[in-house]
Amino acid sequence: MIDDETFFAWIDGELSGPEAARVEAAVAADTALAERARQHRAFRQRLSGAFDALLEVPVPERLTAAVRPPAEVVDFASARRARSLPSLPQWAAMAATLAVGVMLGTMVPDRGAAPVEAHGGKLYAAASLGHALETQLASAPAGDVRIGLTFRDQSGAVCRTFTQSAAAGLACRDQDRWQVRGLFAAPEGQASDYRMAAGIDPNLAALVDSTMAGEPLDAAEEKAAKDKGWR
Amino acid sequence: MNRPLSFEDELTTLLPRLRRFAHALARDGSDADDLAQATIERALRSKAQWQPGTSLHGWCCRIMRNLWIDTARSRGRRAAYEAPEEAGEQVGSDPRAAIEASVDLKRIMAAMSRLPDEQREVVALILIEGFGYREAAEMLDLPIGTVSSRLVRGRNALLAMVGEQ
Repeated sequence: MIDDETFFAWIDGELSGPEAARVEAAVAADTALAERARQHRAFRQRLSGAFDALLEVPVPERLTAAVRPPAEVVDFASARRARSLPSLPQWAAMAATLAVGVMLGTMVPDRGAAPVEAHGGKLYAAASLGHALETQLASAPAGDVRIGLTFRDQSGAVCRTFTQSAAAGLACRDQDRWQVRGLFAAPEGQASDYRMAAGIDPNLAALVDSTMAGEPLDAAEEKAAKDKGWR
Repeated sequence: MNRPLSFEDELTTLLPRLRRFAHALARDGSDADDLAQATIERALRSKAQWQPGTSLHGWCCRIMRNLWIDTARSRGRRAAYEAPEEAGEQVGSDPRAAIEASVDLKRIMAAMSRLPDEQREVVALILIEGFGYREAAEMLDLPIGTVSSRLVRGRNALLAMVGEQ
C-alpha cells in the first residue's frame, strides 16, 4: 500500500533506489493508481507551464529600476550653474537642487543651529553636524549625529558618512571644513530608527562606492586621522 | 574582460523568476509586482547578509515568502474572500505574450488564492519554483514530513478546483 505522501514524492522525483522501485511496481500493477499518476504528472506540468509563461513576458520597468535606484546625489555646484536662479535667495536655489525636500525642513531648524551652510555654491557642515564630523568617532554613543564610515577619496581627502534626524549623508574634508557631498532623506517610515551604516541607504552606498579609494579606516586609523586634524 | 557579476547583476537576472514566485503567492498581477518590488528593496538593504556562493534565488524567495506572510497577516485574510474571480486579471504586461497560457494562469491563480497560506507556499516553492522538498522545508523551517503532507493537500485541492484540461 502506497500512501499519498510517498506517491507524490515519487511523482516529484524525490525518491530513488528501492523506494522508487517499490512505488513504480505498485503503480504498474494498479490501473487506477496508474491513471492517477498520469493525471497528476499532467497537472504538475500544466501548473508550472502556466507560471513559466511569466518568464517570457518583459519585466515591468519599475522592477528593473528598483534593482538600481537612481542615486539622488546632488552635485550642488553644477546643479546651481545648470539652473540659473539668480533672483532666489541661496537657500531656495539649493532647495531646488535637492531631490529630497523633506530633509531641508529637518536639517534647517533655525538660523543659528543649521547643520549645513552654503559658501560659494558648496554646502558645508556646520553647528552640531560640523562638530560631530570634527570630533566624533564612529564608536561614540549615538547622539544627535551618528558617524558611520570614515575613508579617503581618490584625492586623499578624509570622508565620513553621517546620519542626523531623518537624513543620511557624506561629507569630505575641504581645507578645514567638511563639504557635504550628498544628503539623502531616510526611507519613509524609517526616520525614527534610521541606522548609520553606509550599506543601508542604497543611494548613500552608491555615493560611498564611487567616492572611496581603498578600504574604510578601522577604529585605530580613524582615531589617528582625527589626531592629525583629518589631514 | 570578464568582470564578476555584481549582486545587482544577479538580482536583475533573477527578476523573471521572482515575478513568477510572486504571482504564485499573491492574489493578482499588481499585488504580485508590488510584492516583487518590496522583495528587491529588502534584498538590496540586506545585501550584506547574503553569503556569496549560496543560492540567491533561494535567499530571495525566502525574503519574499516572509514579506508575503506579513502582508497576508496584516490584511487579516480579507483578500482571500474578496472577489476571487478578479485574480490574475493583470497578469503580465504584454498582452500578446502567451495568451493561451495566461488564460489558464488566471484560472490557476484564482484557485491558488483560495488555498490556505501554508498549502499555497509549499505548492509555489515546489511545483512552481522547482525547489526540492528538503530545500523548501529549510526555507520554511518545517519538518520535511509537514511539507510533503501540505503539498499533498494543496495539489489535490487545486486539481479539484481547476479540473483537468
